[in-house]
Amino acid sequence: MPGEVYSQLMKELVEGKYVFTGELEPEKAGDVKEPIEAARELVGLVTACNVTDNPQSFAYVNSLAAAYKIEKETGMECVYQLRCADRNRMALLSDVLGAGVLGIKNILALAGDHVSLGDTPDAKPVFDLDSTTLIYMIRKMVDEGKDLAGNDIHNPPKLHVGGAAAPGAAHLKAEVAKVKRKIKVGVEYLQTQVVYYPEILDKFFKELGKVDVPILVGIFPAKSFGAADFFDKYVAGVDVPPDYLKSLEATKEIKDKEKKKQEIDRINVEYFTSFLEYLKGTPAAGCHMMAVGYPRIIAPLKKVME
Amino acid sequence: MIAQEQKPIEEILGYLEGKNNIVIVGCGGCATFYHTGDKKAVDGMADKLEKEGKKVTKIYMPFSMQVCETEKSGVFLNKKRKALEDCDAVLVMSCGDGVQVATEYIEEGMGLMKGVYPANNAIGLVGGGPTKFKETCLSCGMCELGKTAGICPLTSCGKGLMNGPCGGVRVDNKCEIDPEKDCAWVKIYERMEKLGELDKFLEMRAPHEWSKCKRPRLFEIEEPVNMMSAMIGAMPGFLTYTFSAKPKLGEKE
Repeated sequence: MPGEVYSQLMKELVEGKYVFTGELEPEKAGDVKEPIEAARELVGLVTACNVTDNPQSFAYVNSLAAAYKIEKETGMECVYQLRCADRNRMALLSDVLGAGVLGIKNILALAGDHVSLGDTPDAKPVFDLDSTTLIYMIRKMVDEGKDLAGNDIHNPPKLHVGGAAAPGAAHLKAEVAKVKRKIKVGVEYLQTQVVYYPEILDKFFKELGKVDVPILVGIFPAKSFGAADFFDKYVAGVDVPPDYLKSLEATKEIKDKEKKKQEIDRINVEYFTSFLEYLKGTPAAGCHMMAVGYPRIIAPLKKVME
Repeated sequence: MIAQEQKPIEEILGYLEGKNNIVIVGCGGCATFYHTGDKKAVDGMADKLEKEGKKVTKIYMPFSMQVCETEKSGVFLNKKRKALEDCDAVLVMSCGDGVQVATEYIEEGMGLMKGVYPANNAIGLVGGGPTKFKETCLSCGMCELGKTAGICPLTSCGKGLMNGPCGGVRVDNKCEIDPEKDCAWVKIYERMEKLGELDKFLEMRAPHEWSKCKRPRLFEIEEPVNMMSAMIGAMPGFLTYTFSAKPKLGEKE
């Protein structure tokens, strides 16, 4: 856990408050109106929101620019996601310094999906660093005021670095060892990939044992059958429960838009109520709600935890 | 060929720390050309390890017997099965390809779980010789030579630009990162000029399709090569080479 606290997210985690975070996705567009609107709806409901960096290797608005705009226009604290897939260590360092200049206080350091999986498959995959070395670099920058080559950084940035964990990984032992390695190099908080099954999370926490780093468990209330289906088919390490998928699929038949929305919300609240109830009894420090484009679901879900 | 050089002995000894019984595997392929896996190299390495108090078993791979081909290396590894069973570690004197083929073969083909360590650093797919070599090909999966007058800019240009030269060319047409190296794009220009194809130079070449190089690349061929007939077939060429007057190094026609 850090000595100094720079962000609201870290403050609440250090205080042991149960923390909620949300997720905002900039798109392939010349503006960030949509994530800004979503952020406005979430102000007061979540402590901070992740701003995704080319998710699934689809090239979108730069996440630093988006995070800055969102913070400035809505007051929502952002977790700036930064992936190694598209930038070498120099670009990553520049971006981290830039984040400091723009007042960003949280970074989520990720390796990122392979570029061939997204909408620009011919791009050269970079991966000069990986998630662990990026975390190491950021801590070195913040704590020692040095870059990876040992050069001094004048007036180093003050921000926190988080990392990801995948409880549903095919090889749990290797995944947990990797997470421990991230902890060893100084990751300050962890956000997990989406989890649907309590058994999976139980196994993960058991394998990990007691750690001194707060873990926010990811859930994905889907705004449509398509979104859940995409996750099930294309996101590694995540199996969406067939029953939940089926109930969402049935909503495709509902013609009335308002009724359809209500039914989707009902399904999500029903499914996630029991999961969130369960989550209370785990070592999770909070919940990362990846309800991209679906901010209205956060309030009813949060009620469950009150 | 895959050029290579031996790692510093301190690094190798670091890998072998606490391991006293070592099997050294040479390589009769590229490593023989670079003296990093031939008999002399294996003997030299054995001397160094023995001086450190280690017990060494040597597996020589004769010329043209590469570690990277399981069919060949398997024969030589199996001949020394007992030594491999008893050893604490295996040191392979080949490129990284050979090291990994040996690792997999010793574990899966021979059922032995042993630490396998590299003695060399592979430094590129090179051409030329017999003493001077140049890295020329990335094996990128999408050859661009048809668009660049037969010179690969991804390999030969320090920046791997598809549309050079960059602004860093030195006055003598050398590269900004190394005054010893020619600017690949000046070379491409000059070749296109001589070929009367400067119109091609003016065309923008699209960014390289890196999707053709999704690692690790795997592939299969329908018919494996028959080693015996390939060797017999190679004999006339080999004899021609042996008994012909070869051009002297650097000699031009």
